[in-house]
Amino acid sequence: MNQFNSQLVALSALAVSSQVFAVQYLSAEEARHAMFAEATAFKDISLNLNATQMNEVQKIAGVPARSVVWRVVAAYKGDALLGYMVLDDVIGKYELISYAVGLNPDASVRQVEILNYRESHGAEIKNAAWRRQFVNKTAQNGLRAGEDIATISGATLSCTHVTDGVRRIAAIAQVVFRKVD
Amino acid sequence: MRRARPLLGTLVDIQASGTDAAPAIEAAFAVIAEVHRLMSFHEPDSDVSRINCSPAGVSLTVSAHTCAVLRFARQLSGMSRGRFDVCIGAEMVRAGLLPTPVGAVQPTLRASYLDLELLPGRQVKAVKSVWIDVGGVAKGYAVDCAIQVLRNYCLDSAVVNAGGDLRFFGVPQAVQIRDPSQPGSLYSLGMLEDCAVASSSGRYSERNIDALVDKDKHACLRWNQSISVIAPECMIADALTKVVRLCPEQAPKILEHFSAEAVCIGTEQHINQPDRRTNN
Repeated sequence: MNQFNSQLVALSALAVSSQVFAVQYLSAEEARHAMFAEATAFKDISLNLNATQMNEVQKIAGVPARSVVWRVVAAYKGDALLGYMVLDDVIGKYELISYAVGLNPDASVRQVEILNYRESHGAEIKNAAWRRQFVNKTAQNGLRAGEDIATISGATLSCTHVTDGVRRIAAIAQVVFRKVD
Repeated sequence: MRRARPLLGTLVDIQASGTDAAPAIEAAFAVIAEVHRLMSFHEPDSDVSRINCSPAGVSLTVSAHTCAVLRFARQLSGMSRGRFDVCIGAEMVRAGLLPTPVGAVQPTLRASYLDLELLPGRQVKAVKSVWIDVGGVAKGYAVDCAIQVLRNYCLDSAVVNAGGDLRFFGVPQAVQIRDPSQPGSLYSLGMLEDCAVASSSGRYSERNIDALVDKDKHACLRWNQSISVIAPECMIADALTKVVRLCPEQAPKILEHFSAEAVCIGTEQHINQPDRRTNN
């Protein structure tokens, strides 16, 4: 039934009680098992990039290395290295996205998984104090989980920051891990 | 089970319930990644880039996916008298919304869908030099492909949402539309089942122009409306959001042809309520 030309009906918007939506897809722990199902051990090998490495990363990725410290775990099956998983967060126009990049030992990207996603609208996202409210919080202990965001249309999200982030992490892997191996 | 990955220029969220959820979601992401790879304007070896870089008069073989999208776009171009057209790459590049394709010949001025021949055997021949961009339809097509893959698994229900273009089957879903002028507010479409919903809006853009080309003016439009379309397939819903905006005169007939309905949120905050609820 096509009502495109029928009389316009004004509906009052069903206002959402909170401006924040949050979706938890995977914990970091779940992500590493999803990426390296065959792994028998994981080792924290978080990185501190030096100035030379940061310059190299920027040259390869075309985006600044942004941070000195990077959260990384190495996955092993017995003594054999299966790869790495790097954790990162990016802030977009309206959203804060945590994601994990799985890498093969040769530094090629194996898998990208969004861990969680929180969005907001308005000026608060630009406010550092507002962003800090998310630190160490999950959908369970402070954020209203927008369970039905799966069926919201018109919620176009830019993944530019995630795409840039993945490129940056791939460059870090090239600079650091390929030399280690 | 629910997963999200960055694909198609947005975050693609797939939710599935049933015993096969994990392998089903993995396979659905794989087909979306394949469609992304084939139809990217940016990737030099995509079918779209190969067409854009091919000299006039040369035939190319494209994938079945690309062929399906181009055939549907061609049908819609005919129905909308050329208002909907994938030969808009030049306008999009000129507006700074897409990069100049590397190695491509300058497109012929005023080239249109009539200059792109779709031949048997998945052959495509540009009669004149054209730059195509399937951004207005491929995202919906990718969602349809994912749904098709998910249906092959033992699942009770599934939802695929590619940045607001969504389709689902199984359990009826409460679908909402975001008001682009007040992104924190939502309009409810009620409970829907086994269908697709797509929305297009210029309001999320901070630019003065939007990724919607007026073929008469050969320029991108400023778009102050939000249009959502409910349709049996997401490719139809995705493309018809642009058709409603570009040719309002033909839109009712085209919507009817595809068993689709449109919801418009304009500056007056009026909405045209569809009648597809499951509880009717």
